Amino acid sequence: MNPVSRLLTLRKLGIGANRAARRRVIFNIVLITLVVSILVLAQIFVVSMSRGIADKWALLADGHLQLYVDKRQPMIEHPSIETIDRVGEVNALLYSPDKNQMVRVKGVEQSYFNDSRLAQLTITQSENASPSTLAKIMISTTLAERLAVKIDDRLALMLVSNDAIRAQLCIIGALYDTGYHELDEQLVFCDLDFLEHLFTSGVTVYYEVLTQERNLETVKGDFERAGYMATTWKEQNPALSGNLETSRQAVLAVMVAVAILCGYFISELSSQMVEDDKARIATLHLIGAQPQVVRRAYWTAVMVITTVSIALGTALGILFARQLPPLLATIAARSYSALSFYLLDFPIRVPVLDLSIIASVLFCVSAVSVHLSLRRVSAIDALSCVRFD
Amino acid sequence: MKRSTDLVYLHQVSKSFPATLRGGEPIQILESVDLTVQRSRAIAITGNSGSGKSTLLQIAAGLMGCDHGEVWFEHEKLGEMDNRALSALRSRRMGFIFQASLLLEDFTASENVEMAAMIGGSSKGEARDKAHEILSLVGLSARLSHRPDQLSGGEKQRVAIARALVNEPAILFADEPTGSLDEGNAAMVEDLLFSLVRQKEVALLLVTHNLSFARRCDEIHRISERNLEVIG
Repeated sequence: MNPVSRLLTLRKLGIGANRAARRRVIFNIVLITLVVSILVLAQIFVVSMSRGIADKWALLADGHLQLYVDKRQPMIEHPSIETIDRVGEVNALLYSPDKNQMVRVKGVEQSYFNDSRLAQLTITQSENASPSTLAKIMISTTLAERLAVKIDDRLALMLVSNDAIRAQLCIIGALYDTGYHELDEQLVFCDLDFLEHLFTSGVTVYYEVLTQERNLETVKGDFERAGYMATTWKEQNPALSGNLETSRQAVLAVMVAVAILCGYFISELSSQMVEDDKARIATLHLIGAQPQVVRRAYWTAVMVITTVSIALGTALGILFARQLPPLLATIAARSYSALSFYLLDFPIRVPVLDLSIIASVLFCVSAVSVHLSLRRVSAIDALSCVRFD
Repeated sequence: MKRSTDLVYLHQVSKSFPATLRGGEPIQILESVDLTVQRSRAIAITGNSGSGKSTLLQIAAGLMGCDHGEVWFEHEKLGEMDNRALSALRSRRMGFIFQASLLLEDFTASENVEMAAMIGGSSKGEARDKAHEILSLVGLSARLSHRPDQLSGGEKQRVAIARALVNEPAILFADEPTGSLDEGNAAMVEDLLFSLVRQKEVALLLVTHNLSFARRCDEIHRISERNLEVIG
């Protein structure tokens, strides 16, 4: 870098400058950092919530992959397969003394609630359950509230099929809460043997495969090549998975649009710098400085401020995001009805690609718009320094 | 006719300004003015306020174009040079001092001079050495790291002189360089200016309404009625 540009850049960055100049630089950094941190926080929040919903749905409702086979255990070797569980499923009406609700009853085996699934929900067991011959079911706290029942209460489970109506009295052995009410209000767990015994022909039995999301298609392909009929949770719930992906992309598009506006704002910052320094720039022109040398110094200074702000804003946004779970837990505990359709319990995930896109767009838009705005430097007449004085 | 030894040569230069921002009948400031500045010569331009002294200096330095006529600097016609070439010319061959010191406020006295040296093509180290040398010549070796707001008016003008001369220009354009100083400081700056101009054999084009200051030059020209006349 030209020594003149370097000296000018350092001074514009407040290095070796007076306190007022340093304050201006810090103020600009703080301003851009705040905007970036809010963008980053919003993107992390939306992506984490989307993935949280997807995880809950995949792990508790359908499994990553559903295999429809006979009673033989599907066997293929793949390092990314976590578990394969046999489950049964049936739609039924659940009756409390006062209310009823259509639910999806899922019969599972003891091993079903492994660590991955247990991480997705909190289970409250009955503390002093009296011995009962009734079958135990696990419903969500959301459903319990809706049916006005509590743990250890009795409910009637009724299957309505084409040829018969069968009812079975059962007892609430445990309550669960995933934090996602849309899932909670329709999903009921019970023992697989009980479900098969009670509803025999009405039960759909299949295998749920848990794997890693990124290997989903590979594992599915492996099963299909081995002769199994496999469906991913996304294929099973095209509206939900499509909505989640569309939401993520829409929010990313909004964030990118805001980043573009922010880039334009940064060019306004450089314009203001030039406006404030007109007399100084005119003096530099008077003593023979080439306009491009002056432009380069201002461009570099603004882009250093921008880059530092992007880095700080990203770090701050991630830091804020890491503090979200306790805050969301507090909000969830207050059960605001307006938030009942939002997932408020999810792990924070940093979407590196999304954040890189936002940061890159902000940097590139700033670089171009600042470059364009600095064209006015060339128009500052050397003689104007005499007029300013 | 321009001679090869002429440093600055103005031939039949005319300049007018619009009467108002919206145009109107232009006001003629200079009309068919001729002026020659030879190497190492000091020329003073005097005249009443608003007579066009500063305009003439600015045209001679290539800071302002003229409506008619030719302006030459050494072997080049200023009107035919682009901004880049004019900047390069100003940085290496010309020095400027105005009534206001026009120092860069965020820079120390030394950095103000170093900046001019670096713009003139010196490396950072060379620029620092040159700046320290010339600032000690103007008596400011103890003020190297002071910012303009920590210097007196006379000291600022001495820094401006150092900055104007650091690249050893062929000519120094000075427009009322002592106009904003008190009598004592003005005399000191005058002495310093002439001593350095003589010592470094730099030509001087001085615009002043102060006749005693003008009399220290080799020639005195007066602008009157849009024309230039030699009065001493």
